[in-house]
Amino acid sequence: MVVETTVFNSGGRVIAAASPEEGFKVMKGMGKYASLFVTVLALVGLMFLTVPRAVAQQDGSPIGGDADDTFNPPPCDYNDQFYGDNGIDVTQLVGRFGDNNGTTRLTGPPARGNQKNYVADSTCNVKDPNRRNFRILATTGGNSDDNNSPFTCASGNGGPNCANQSFFEPETFEFISILAFVNSQNAFSNSYLRNVGFINGGLQGVQQNPGEDISIGQASLGESPAQTLRGFAMQDIVSNFEAYAALKQTTPQGFASNPCSLAMIKQLQNPNATSVPMPCFPVNDTVVNGQTVSDVATPNLRQDWRFATNRNAMDGSDNNDPVGAITGNVINAPFGYFCDDLLGMWIITYFWVTAPPNDPHCGPIYQSIGAKNGFNTDGTPIVLTAFELNTELEAQGCGAEAKEDLAGNDGGAVWLICPGIPDPRAGGISTDAFLDQVRNSNGIPQNLFLTANFLSLQIFGKFPNELTSKQQSQVRAAATSAATAAN
Amino acid sequence: MPRSKTQRITRRNFLKLTAGAAAVGPFFVLTPNAFASGKTLNVAKWAHFLPEFDDWFINVVAAEWGKRNDTKVTVDVIPVEEIRERAFAEVTAGKGHDVFVFPWPPAEFHQHVIDHTGIYQTVAAKYGAIQQLAHRSTFSLSNKKYFAFADFWTPSPLHFYQDYWAQIGMPLGPVHFGGLLSGGTRLRDKLGIPCGLAFCPTLEGNVTLHSILYAHRALIFDSGGNLVFNKDVFAARAISLIHALCRESGTSEQLTWPSGGSVSAMLARKTSSTTNAISLLRAAEKQDPKVAGKMWIQPPLIGTSGMGVTALPHVTNCSVVWNFAQNEDGARQFIGDLIDTSRTGYEKSLGVNFPIYPKTVPDIIVRLSKDPQANPPSKYTALKDALHWTPNLGVPGYATPAYMEIFNTSVVPKMVARVAKGESAEDAAAAGAAEMQRIVDKWKQAG
Repeated sequence: MVVETTVFNSGGRVIAAASPEEGFKVMKGMGKYASLFVTVLALVGLMFLTVPRAVAQQDGSPIGGDADDTFNPPPCDYNDQFYGDNGIDVTQLVGRFGDNNGTTRLTGPPARGNQKNYVADSTCNVKDPNRRNFRILATTGGNSDDNNSPFTCASGNGGPNCANQSFFEPETFEFISILAFVNSQNAFSNSYLRNVGFINGGLQGVQQNPGEDISIGQASLGESPAQTLRGFAMQDIVSNFEAYAALKQTTPQGFASNPCSLAMIKQLQNPNATSVPMPCFPVNDTVVNGQTVSDVATPNLRQDWRFATNRNAMDGSDNNDPVGAITGNVINAPFGYFCDDLLGMWIITYFWVTAPPNDPHCGPIYQSIGAKNGFNTDGTPIVLTAFELNTELEAQGCGAEAKEDLAGNDGGAVWLICPGIPDPRAGGISTDAFLDQVRNSNGIPQNLFLTANFLSLQIFGKFPNELTSKQQSQVRAAATSAATAAN
Repeated sequence: MPRSKTQRITRRNFLKLTAGAAAVGPFFVLTPNAFASGKTLNVAKWAHFLPEFDDWFINVVAAEWGKRNDTKVTVDVIPVEEIRERAFAEVTAGKGHDVFVFPWPPAEFHQHVIDHTGIYQTVAAKYGAIQQLAHRSTFSLSNKKYFAFADFWTPSPLHFYQDYWAQIGMPLGPVHFGGLLSGGTRLRDKLGIPCGLAFCPTLEGNVTLHSILYAHRALIFDSGGNLVFNKDVFAARAISLIHALCRESGTSEQLTWPSGGSVSAMLARKTSSTTNAISLLRAAEKQDPKVAGKMWIQPPLIGTSGMGVTALPHVTNCSVVWNFAQNEDGARQFIGDLIDTSRTGYEKSLGVNFPIYPKTVPDIIVRLSKDPQANPPSKYTALKDALHWTPNLGVPGYATPAYMEIFNTSVVPKMVARVAKGESAEDAAAAGAAEMQRIVDKWKQAG
């Protein structure tokens, strides 16, 4: 596999944790900010202002044709070679953006209406040779529950950008590009070999260079199947990065308290189960208008994604100690997101509530969490943190989680190829990108803070707390406009 | 100087007690010779899974240390399953060996040992800071002293037969416990080969079961040392899952295997997967290289409820100097000096013994990636990050006396056995929690 180094360093944060995920840092709920934000939106609702979108771009003069063209480019799909170099068989990918001559998932979820999920962009491969020329517009937002992001401010002792933290950005957001889905283990290559740098330069053989091999599972090189010489299998790397998906639990038959998969039910909800209670919510892909729609496509979600990144801070900002010596209460995790998981893959952990919203035992727990975070359309609470899921829900028997069958028998996504945007500022989110987020039944984004955060980055290339008061007003107005337009 | 009166065991009994692949080295006592000082040092140690290691420890490490220090050294090798009983016998009698080496943190004996802080300090000057794994395995929160000295540990990766798992569409093996259950069920249905994790009241059974509990957030103690087992649904759910693993994808033998039973089953290809020290794969390499080629190792399975990839150490090698040791000074020096042999110890254990002090084997990554016996040579590189997924016994807290008594008295395997006999997981968890509370109360009274 190709090795790259981490680009960002948040300045050295120490994460203390009692368990791999939970940590001491539990994100503050947005509840205390919510009413204020709504009030602000109401006040500025009619104050939509024209916003200069070009300011986010950081390509200095001349525009194009010089070295700074590659500065923080917006995301594009990886090319086949890069997938292969990182242990993925592209023929096994499901719903890969750009496949079939640029028609696969061009429209449809996560895009709405005629919105396109990606565009052909001949500069992708120029700015990054590991990319192919499809630039991703669908920018999926989610909550990072670890506060490890260098841009995190929710804990009050966050990264370097939090000095002026305000109500405007109370949560920790990450933005990802869901390039493709992986529905079975067969997508991980057992064997791969590519020579890089071979030169037959002539000059009587003086400039001969055999190059270097990028290899996986080459017995002749002493590699185990599916592993690199570093001893890593991509599957093992990815196992350290869990993305949490919450599928809608309302069905035509009523509220479903479990998935339509006995194997998933048995993982935590009820190991003794022998059949699938009905109604159940589906966990398999579907085909709509000839296009495969993933089970985790946004319309199927009841809340935005949640990323468990505090076992491995995406940027290494948790002071991960590879030696494992005592350096305070540091979680020593083996892999860094941006330096080992080069495709930005995640293993999906599905989570759900195990009782209807009005359940006598679980209902009050749901109400308590919902009072902080808000509610999904189906009346279940929005879950933002590991503590809420693990301790408040699952430990009480009011929530459960599972992963899909590794051989693909559940029919849905097991893994995601959805790289996080390393730095969403300064052009990392392009002016034509759109935010893929869960919406309420009336079309209004469920999480307006996420909307505002995205717009702040898209319009000004900055986080909200970096904006001037005038810019903040403009973002509020744009967010209000987005909410209004949804109606 | 009076000699200890510990009971020596015969080689025959020794081999009988440690049957299976967890083979043992020869019982050995250094023959007396002329030591001008008249000093003696009596060492008891658990029988390593690879007899070659004990041979080297006795004939080289102990012997040469004795020569250098003008001391007659004796080494008694004791089967793992007898270690605790023998140690209790010595503390009860108030006499025995000077050094006692356990395969797990001997917190239960913290009142009968010296403070080992000075040994750590001496070693730190040469080899650096102590790892968190060792610190939490040997530090007493109650008196703020180190009750033991840890010098190596062994990771517990997943071992599985790739050719078996490939036949049910999982050529890379299971990644999470759900995959182990569902894939293992299909595999047993198709091939008649069960999964083979140890659920029995042995060292490997306890390590496996405690790992599964932790991986499913069924904590026994919280990070503050409070007993929290069965305070939520996780305990009963985890017990149920273990029972399902046994009932639907495993074999009833998992519950009753003797020490080394899961290893023997894997070596005979009667099971498809297990967790163990890599002594299992080493045994396979020695016994049948073709079989070894089909046996893969990988990091542990992902747990649920945010617990990530994790497995407890199969062994945490901890030496203690009794506070009634006849040769305390010699004992202190002996176990501190063991660190100087860590590099060779890593080699003699065929890579099973991971050093507590990384500086002692600085090229461990290279060694893992170019193992002369492995096929392919990089097979063991899956362990290069083992320290990251290996917490200490007692996690998320420390290895306390109560935790270690719970571990060593097989409270968890007994719970699993109760469910196998028809009791509900909830009742078994409640009974287990009651037993744990009794143990906690006992230690509180002990102070």
